[in-house]
Amino acid sequence: MKLWAHYNKASTIITISVLLAGAVIYYFAINYIAQQQLNRDLTEEFEEVEDYVKLNGQLPKQADFDEDQTTFLKTSKDTLKTRYFDTAYSDPKEKKTEAGRAVRGLVSLKGQHYLTTITISREGTEYLIQIIGAITLALMVGLLIILFITNRYILNGLWRPFYDTLNALKTFNISDSNTFHLKNNKVDEFNDLNHVVETMSLRVKTDYVNLKHFTENASHEMLTPLAVITTKLDTLIQDETLKPEQFEQINDIYSAASKLSRLNQSLLLLVKIENKLLDDAEELSLDGLISQKTRQFNELAQSKDIRINEHLGEKNITASKYLIDILLNNLFSNAIRHNSNDGWLIITLTTDKLIFQNTGCEKPLDADILFERFQKGQKSEGTGLGLTIVKNICNLYYWDINYSFEHSMHTFTIKF
Amino acid sequence: MKLLIIEDEQALRDNITNYFNEDGNICESCSCLADAITKLSNYEYDCVLLDIGLPDGDGFAVLEYLKVQMKNEAVLIISARNSLDDKLKGLNIGADDYLTKPFHLAELKARVVAIYRRKAFNSNNKLVFNEIVINLLGRTVDVNQTPVILTRKEYDMLLYFIANKGKVISKNAIAEHLWGDEMDMHDNFDFIYTHIKNLRKKLLDAKCNDYLSSIYGIGYKFKAE
Repeated sequence: MKLWAHYNKASTIITISVLLAGAVIYYFAINYIAQQQLNRDLTEEFEEVEDYVKLNGQLPKQADFDEDQTTFLKTSKDTLKTRYFDTAYSDPKEKKTEAGRAVRGLVSLKGQHYLTTITISREGTEYLIQIIGAITLALMVGLLIILFITNRYILNGLWRPFYDTLNALKTFNISDSNTFHLKNNKVDEFNDLNHVVETMSLRVKTDYVNLKHFTENASHEMLTPLAVITTKLDTLIQDETLKPEQFEQINDIYSAASKLSRLNQSLLLLVKIENKLLDDAEELSLDGLISQKTRQFNELAQSKDIRINEHLGEKNITASKYLIDILLNNLFSNAIRHNSNDGWLIITLTTDKLIFQNTGCEKPLDADILFERFQKGQKSEGTGLGLTIVKNICNLYYWDINYSFEHSMHTFTIKF
Repeated sequence: MKLLIIEDEQALRDNITNYFNEDGNICESCSCLADAITKLSNYEYDCVLLDIGLPDGDGFAVLEYLKVQMKNEAVLIISARNSLDDKLKGLNIGADDYLTKPFHLAELKARVVAIYRRKAFNSNNKLVFNEIVINLLGRTVDVNQTPVILTRKEYDMLLYFIANKGKVISKNAIAEHLWGDEMDMHDNFDFIYTHIKNLRKKLLDAKCNDYLSSIYGIGYKFKAE
């Protein structure tokens, strides 16, 4: 729900309830005032009747009271409190019954008490109340419309700097070396917000640069000693007076050094992927890359008599070529390394998924820990990071990777 | 070939110097940016091996210096930074090649020889080693004037061996050269054996001397005589 809609909802509820409460109070107040006015009129009429009776010594005739209706009834009561009440009033001219107001009191003439009732029409005041009600209603509707428009447009205008900041944040790219700059505006709160956002983005960028430097430094610090080991070994084997057993030992050191170097590179790569340090995304033809890789790995596959079967539909992706290269390398080398001799590797590419299926060990692998760091098969010579890297690359591009064991085939499915 | 090795790690510097210091090569070395600039301003070199991370500054400064001075040294960057940005930056401002640590000396030598060849013999595309004549542009090999048809891997391997003639090259180094480390060949060196067997057979069939020999299961050597 948009901000203005929230605002609208709140202001509509408040406006309607205030106006309704106002209308009720208004109605009763007007009603009360009108009644008071009618009562005063009736009192005057009643006094006129009393004056007339005193002056003329007889009851007035109906004709003397224009449209007011006056009745006199003999009564035996001595005292009666004068009271006012609502009643029906029948208009003699229009011959219909209207709402009316009446007063009843005692008038004495020559020792005889008369119960006197004077009724007047309330039509006028009813009409007044209706008019006032209609005006109130019109005001209410008008106010709501105005509020609605105000909220929609003026509010949006007022919050414009906020939306500008929001849009700027959406396009914020941590690896972009341009500094993040937001426009100043008239609202202090938004200026504060912009200031905080700018400071924060600056800090994030500094941290990011530091991290990048750390990654590089760590890489440097570890790889230089490794280079020393490797080159020392390269120098050492030039000495042909060494015994075969010593060469064997050197071979083991070579293997360990190259494994360490791969491990180090894999870990650094993971750091890079996790921190999204690789953002050289470009449009790539995945089917093209896969057939290229198939050719590259053909020799490796042939050495184990593995047949590679490709079903490649056209598929373009936007990703870093470097990472996709690593992704495919890892999938291919896994599928070949853990394959049985004379096995199969089936690669299927459609517009929505990429499937690598290979024969191999007859038991399914534990899908829960398969992608965890340093989880590797007992016979695996790998670093234990290959599938973690695959998974992280998939995560980076919001692809879904799954392992399943179907028809004796280890199946890795990437859904784009 | 006259080389300048700019590398702050002494052990590495010594190793490289030792490995290159035969074959009539002259190696000089220094460990910091300031020395490197002094040496480069005083002498001419054929090739410079440049470490990017130096104690007193960025190795890129050497490249800038060479560019400004219009010097023609071939430069090979040896870097521990395996970042694409650095690689592109280095190659853009005049480096001829980029090698990431850790590396095998045989690989370094092969690359240095290759860039030196490119710089030094622009017109001459033929590499002659005794009876073997390699046409570098056409990627063809003649032995005793008879063409020998080699696969791409065999051809690469032959060049690699000739660049490292007289040296024992480990199987790890050959594997990395032929397949790159990203292919993750691990310790499966059967492929190398197959390729070397094929290469040797093709050369012998063309009446070539048997230069290749296996050294105690650790690697191979291409005799330098």
